[in-house]
Amino acid sequence: MEQLVLAFITGLTTGGLSCLAVQGGLLAGSLARQIEQDLLTAPAGGKGGPRPNTALPIALFLAAKLAAYTLLGALLGLAGSFLTLDPITRAVLMIAIGVFMVGNGLRMLNVHPIFRYFIIEPPRFITRYIRRTAKGGKTDFSTPLFLGALTALIPCGVTQAMMAAALGTGRAAAGAALMFAFTLGTSPVFFIVAYLATELGARLQSYFLRFVAVVVLILGLVTIEGGLNVLGSPLSFANLTAGLQPAAQVPAITPAPAPISAPLPTAAAATGTQKAAAPPTANAPAAGPVAGPGNAQITLELTVLNNGYVPKVLRAPANRPVSLALTTNKTYSCARDFVIPALKYYQLLPETGRVTVEIPAQKPGTVMRFACSMGMYTGQILFDG
Amino acid sequence: MLKKTYRVNDMYCANCAMRIEGLEDDLPGVKTVVASYKKGQMVVEFDEKIVTEAQIMAAVARLGYTAVAG
Repeated sequence: MEQLVLAFITGLTTGGLSCLAVQGGLLAGSLARQIEQDLLTAPAGGKGGPRPNTALPIALFLAAKLAAYTLLGALLGLAGSFLTLDPITRAVLMIAIGVFMVGNGLRMLNVHPIFRYFIIEPPRFITRYIRRTAKGGKTDFSTPLFLGALTALIPCGVTQAMMAAALGTGRAAAGAALMFAFTLGTSPVFFIVAYLATELGARLQSYFLRFVAVVVLILGLVTIEGGLNVLGSPLSFANLTAGLQPAAQVPAITPAPAPISAPLPTAAAATGTQKAAAPPTANAPAAGPVAGPGNAQITLELTVLNNGYVPKVLRAPANRPVSLALTTNKTYSCARDFVIPALKYYQLLPETGRVTVEIPAQKPGTVMRFACSMGMYTGQILFDG
Repeated sequence: MLKKTYRVNDMYCANCAMRIEGLEDDLPGVKTVVASYKKGQMVVEFDEKIVTEAQIMAAVARLGYTAVAG
């Protein structure tokens, strides 16, 4: 849902202008004959107010565009579903998409001509066909409908970035919803500018092109960040800054009579002493690692909220298996799509419930990262010696 | 019939190329226009008896771009 809102806002703010800049010609083409006819039939001495018949072709054009892009989003999502074999593949795809978006942002900023290769140029026979269809438009309503649908073949840079994101959703419905939200967002600007029949689009475009580029650039970096998080890379911004957090929060330790599922790898760990968890402090080491008695189950508690994981940093004893209990309570965000890259563990958690992950013994100093499948929410487990 | 290449560095998207290619429909004497945003150029095939280079460059300028011979 957050992604859809973001897509809508992107469409509303940057996509509309960007699309208008590249597809405005099509819209003008579809309206030209309509306007011409209106002028011919207008009563003499008219004041030249808004043309009453212009709104309908614009609306038809935009409706067709919306339908075409929604379908395109579904196809992209479907295509992405074949690529989304596992979270790692998805992460790699996200990084590739992010690089594409960053490249597009740099292209728009005209940093270097090399970045022009980040845009996909439609084949010439398509552009020629579209161009000639627009110019030879008939006066019936089929032309704006047809041209609106054809805009799917000449997406602007921001739209291409959004298409890449639709591919990354890996689901037809999600891809369709994303493109629907985005295209819907672009529609008001398209409609207003076209209806007022001014050159506002061209003017705004010159002012806002850089703004659009920066937004795409940021979206690209956020996407790369997400991909790195899903991969569990220490190079992501979230993971780089995780170490700067004032205190590693210590989870509650739940001794349980149930035997552990794997033999303890070291005698030292087996003879450890169970300690109650200390409250979080400014200096994490003071809280210290914890270890349970020989056969006691250690359970780390993690609450999965709509806006992330609490606590973000968990501490666990090294050299012995631990359990990670994930508790959801009316959690609907992507935080439910829980990934531990190092274990190749992926689970869609129930909206409300409790799922336990068995983590095998880890070496001291191991940092095990976890994230949602979109890489938006992250956290880590520190294994102390 | 002449075939000439022009640099058009101020295209900002692939669809600028589409607009420029529209000259083949709009400018008498121009047979084909193949514009590339990636390469920042356009290749124009035209009948020099009907249209001059200056007219082609002026037509490109009217679209908001700058064509430079070479």
